[in-house]
Amino acid sequence: MRFRIYRYDPESGAKPAMRDYEIEFEPRGKKLLDALIAIKDTLDESLSFRRSCREGVCGSDGVNVNGRNVLACVTPLEGLKEPIEIRPLPRLGVVRDLIVDMGQFYQHYRAVKPYLINLDPEPENERPQSPQERAELDGLWECILCGCCTTACPSFWWNPDKFLGPAALLQGYRFIADSRDQATNERLDFMEDPYRLFRCHGIMNCVEVCPKGLNPTQAIGKIKTLLVKRAL
Amino acid sequence: MRNASGARRGLNHWLLARASAAYMALFLPIFFVYACQGGLDYAAWRGLFLPVFVKVAVLLFAVALLAHAWIGLREIFIDYVHPLFLRLSLVFLFGVVYAACLIWAVAILWSLK
Repeated sequence: MRFRIYRYDPESGAKPAMRDYEIEFEPRGKKLLDALIAIKDTLDESLSFRRSCREGVCGSDGVNVNGRNVLACVTPLEGLKEPIEIRPLPRLGVVRDLIVDMGQFYQHYRAVKPYLINLDPEPENERPQSPQERAELDGLWECILCGCCTTACPSFWWNPDKFLGPAALLQGYRFIADSRDQATNERLDFMEDPYRLFRCHGIMNCVEVCPKGLNPTQAIGKIKTLLVKRAL
Repeated sequence: MRNASGARRGLNHWLLARASAAYMALFLPIFFVYACQGGLDYAAWRGLFLPVFVKVAVLLFAVALLAHAWIGLREIFIDYVHPLFLRLSLVFLFGVVYAACLIWAVAILWSLK
């Protein structure tokens, strides 16, 4: 199989470049990450990429494959057009090869306060939810923060420091939607901003690429609906 | 310098873009049906715009179109034009041009008697 992989080593002083690899590899039943590991094991041990759980749970191996952001560990090799072109996630700084600096992404994540804010006295056991209240969180809690959606969003490309991006907005709505959270107003205050929220023009790139099948555009729409309800 | 919370802005523009789109979506097919009633010569077209309610509806359409276009352009400028002076100049320039278009539309519509 033929691969074309983005290589960059800041210590070498060389400019980033695409390098070709050819490897005997049976694609049937294998994922892209298997091929990357095989290339690193047999052809080029200097190739660098992140991976951990290798089954789509940790979200560390987000890469851009043939122009599309994916998790390497859950992307089947079969059906990918050769040479398979692998690049780091767009718009983030490259640390080395396929490893990107997620600092900006996590900064937006931290900014939406991704934790329950509840000022009531601590209950004896837990804060109960009805099954309906719990169901509100489905399609939100599953996000693994891989960054595929946010780095596929042109609004993030043009204003990466100001637009929160689909992942952070989905996480923000996850706590707005939580019946146990009491900071809805403060959260909406934070998001109601021409940059933070309203850079989203609903083009749904995030929905298209999310490896977990989530719908950040819908979450953003619900935030906007709450803002309208609050204002009118 | 850090912002403690959001600018509390953006919602009105977003709502106005949707409201203007809704008006245009309603107006255009209705006007099309209305315009197909008569002939297609100059006198018939001119006659279409004579009733006051048509003038008001067409003027509202012009308002909706220009507001929608201005909001859309502003979004494009925020996305792509980052130097503040250039961005403000463009927003101002198109604001003036669109306001002029609106006044012109009023002049055209109410010159018909």
